[in-house]
Amino acid sequence: MQLKGEKTVIVLAGCVIGVLASLLVFWGNPVNMGFCIACFLRDISGALGFHSAAAVQYLRPEIVGLVLGSFLLAVCRKEFSARGGSSPLTRFVLGMLVMIGCLMFLGCPFRMILRIAGGDLNALFGLGGFVCGILAGVFFLNRGYTLRRSYALPRLEGALFPTIMAVLLVLLVAVPSLLRFTEAGGGPGALHAPVLISLAAGLIVGALAQHTRLCMVGGIRDMVLFRESKLLLGFIAVFASTLVCNLILSAVTGTSYFNLGMAGQPVAHTDGLWNFLGMLLAGWGCVLLGGCPLRQLVLSGEGNADSALTVLGLMAGAAVSHNFSLASSADGPTANGKIAVILGLCAVAVIACLGTFRKDRT
Amino acid sequence: MTCIATFFSHFGAVRCQRTCRALGRPARMMPVPRTLSSSCGTCVQWEGEPELPEDVLADVEQIVEITTQGYRPIYRAGSL
Repeated sequence: MQLKGEKTVIVLAGCVIGVLASLLVFWGNPVNMGFCIACFLRDISGALGFHSAAAVQYLRPEIVGLVLGSFLLAVCRKEFSARGGSSPLTRFVLGMLVMIGCLMFLGCPFRMILRIAGGDLNALFGLGGFVCGILAGVFFLNRGYTLRRSYALPRLEGALFPTIMAVLLVLLVAVPSLLRFTEAGGGPGALHAPVLISLAAGLIVGALAQHTRLCMVGGIRDMVLFRESKLLLGFIAVFASTLVCNLILSAVTGTSYFNLGMAGQPVAHTDGLWNFLGMLLAGWGCVLLGGCPLRQLVLSGEGNADSALTVLGLMAGAAVSHNFSLASSADGPTANGKIAVILGLCAVAVIACLGTFRKDRT
Repeated sequence: MTCIATFFSHFGAVRCQRTCRALGRPARMMPVPRTLSSSCGTCVQWEGEPELPEDVLADVEQIVEITTQGYRPIYRAGSL
């Protein structure tokens, strides 16, 4: 009975999140990018000058909202708990690798769903890779993979990341001259909803994700591990509500928010193999981390310093991807990106093996 | 009695399930109930006594008993 109630709540939350994701595009975000944790963290990295790709620089208020929404609800529900110390540097590196995979595909698992709901069939190759990556991760989980336990930390440690997010928001509103922004018409970074709308959407989704524990990786992982469908239902609800909202927006506005096909999709390429391998890397890395990029943001809002470090790893991965031409573009993947994804898969395999089969584990 | 244990790592849950079954206590792994924790980790539910061997307990975050009134705390790790 309790589980049934939880399922109802997560489906409703997924519907709200999907509608917001679709509406954010209507309000100005790039097409099929109402939310994309990887793209938005990449944009923030650019806004802070960590990379110099002029087309993708903007301090996305959605990310600030996600962390603060989770933080505020966790505090209200007395679930805020400063924790950390579970293989922090390994998590940082895994975060970097996950981002390299996401930028090969051009989107995080969240955007993968939004791309499919927008008719982008290239994302189905990504979904295939994502599922295979999760299966690879589950293989190691079932054999004892662990990054070791976390420990209680001073409350300050848990509150620092939400504080940093709040400071970034102040910078965006009060001192934008300190940040870098994509010029109008200069790329996806120039496309964004108004600040207050983006922030409000982030706050709502952050709170809903904290309450429901929505996780793009967790849905498939729990289905495989326990035959438990709750998180997967949230995943499906996001897809279904975005699809319906896209179709309604298309009918009402006369602008197409749903374009079925592979060629000419926004912020996407048509190389199926590398879409697959990019999300294979992302899915595998996310299982080893214990959650998708969205979940890492939500956990960092709850006071989890390990997740905060993972988010910093994701941002570092974005900077590396653009500074060394690893990120794909609409023209397709780069040679450097292909090498990085292969090396990334090797690195994730080594981390998985060491975390599973090392002899010094207690 | 029916008990649920949450863990600091998934590996702890795997080891606990294995141990419980070896002790003749029917056990299964499942996602942590939302009302028990906001973490999205794995827990183990088993039938029988709540006591666990020392090596398994090292990875246990908390143990509760399922009662008609809800969860009754039995054990919580000291350095949470």
